Amino acid sequence: MIGQVTAGFPNIHEIWVYLSGSPLLALILTLGAYQLGVIAYERANRHPLANPVLIAIVLVAATITLIDMPYPKYFEGAQFVHFLLGTATVSLAVPIYKGLGALRGRIVPLLAALLAGGVTSIVSAVGIARLLGADAAITGGFIAKSVTAPIAMGIAERIGVSPTLTAVFAVSTGILGAVLARFVLDFVRSREWWQRGFAIGVAAHGLGTSRAFSVNPEAGAYASLAMGMHGVLGAVLIPLGARILGF
Amino acid sequence: MISALVEILLFQGLGELATHFFLPFIPGPVIGLVLLVGFLAFRKGVNASLDELATAFSRHFGLLFVPAAVGVVMFWPHLKTHAIAIVAALVASVVLTIAVTALVLKGLSRGSGK
Repeated sequence: MIGQVTAGFPNIHEIWVYLSGSPLLALILTLGAYQLGVIAYERANRHPLANPVLIAIVLVAATITLIDMPYPKYFEGAQFVHFLLGTATVSLAVPIYKGLGALRGRIVPLLAALLAGGVTSIVSAVGIARLLGADAAITGGFIAKSVTAPIAMGIAERIGVSPTLTAVFAVSTGILGAVLARFVLDFVRSREWWQRGFAIGVAAHGLGTSRAFSVNPEAGAYASLAMGMHGVLGAVLIPLGARILGF
Repeated sequence: MISALVEILLFQGLGELATHFFLPFIPGPVIGLVLLVGFLAFRKGVNASLDELATAFSRHFGLLFVPAAVGVVMFWPHLKTHAIAIVAALVASVVLTIAVTALVLKGLSRGSGK
């Protein structure tokens, strides 16, 4: 017995068993993967396609598949990060409050555009996916995808669709929006920065917003406002709509 | 920073209580957010500590939804089967959403005699 304990370095298997029993492994994995994602993003000159969140998701998913760690077990450890999602959502109050001034004198066109954009987002995604044969489990994930991911996941829970798919579709939407927005906006001849920014924010939430800020500060401010308004109104109207339409 | 964290956690708590007892269809953190916006409007300003915390959160928001999104591994076979439908829906929907939003804004602000 004593001989075993003093026999020097414990073998890899022992270390493994010890580590995987604590939340530490999942936390290291999550934060480490995200850090690698951030490094890659910086190296790629902040190109939207090198999105750190997407990189982190792929790295963690690949790793837990490779080491045969069941997802619920991973989540048990990573839930400490997950918990902060709600807290971070509340902190969105600060940018929303600061953006309220931008609403002045433009509240009617902004609200109308938000409603039109929000409905378009849901109807087009769900409609196209259904047309191409996707089932309800998948189309459910599209409903809140243009809302900022932390709020979108909350909405998903309330309307009984998968928060996971919602988060993944929301991140993908943000990336696509950040990449494609410029071309779409040029195509429809949108010229005012505030209009361009707002449209990106409605469609592509946080990732679109940071893209808008990197192009023009006025566009960024309006994108941020759009993201906040879409988050709050979406959280009220989407569950209400779901209840009325009964899906 | 700690005082701001206490403030935010309190509002999150209020939001959770409100959703539990009165508004079960709205996510608790969103109610907390709205209440905090109201409080900031009442106080007429954001203090430095809260501003600092909100900036820190917003800079690394993405990290916080990694654990939930990794659950995509459980959907993998299902997603592969419907890959074309998913990609088509995502791309077309984001293009249409941007276009419709921008066109409505353009139309309405022209009407108001800008």
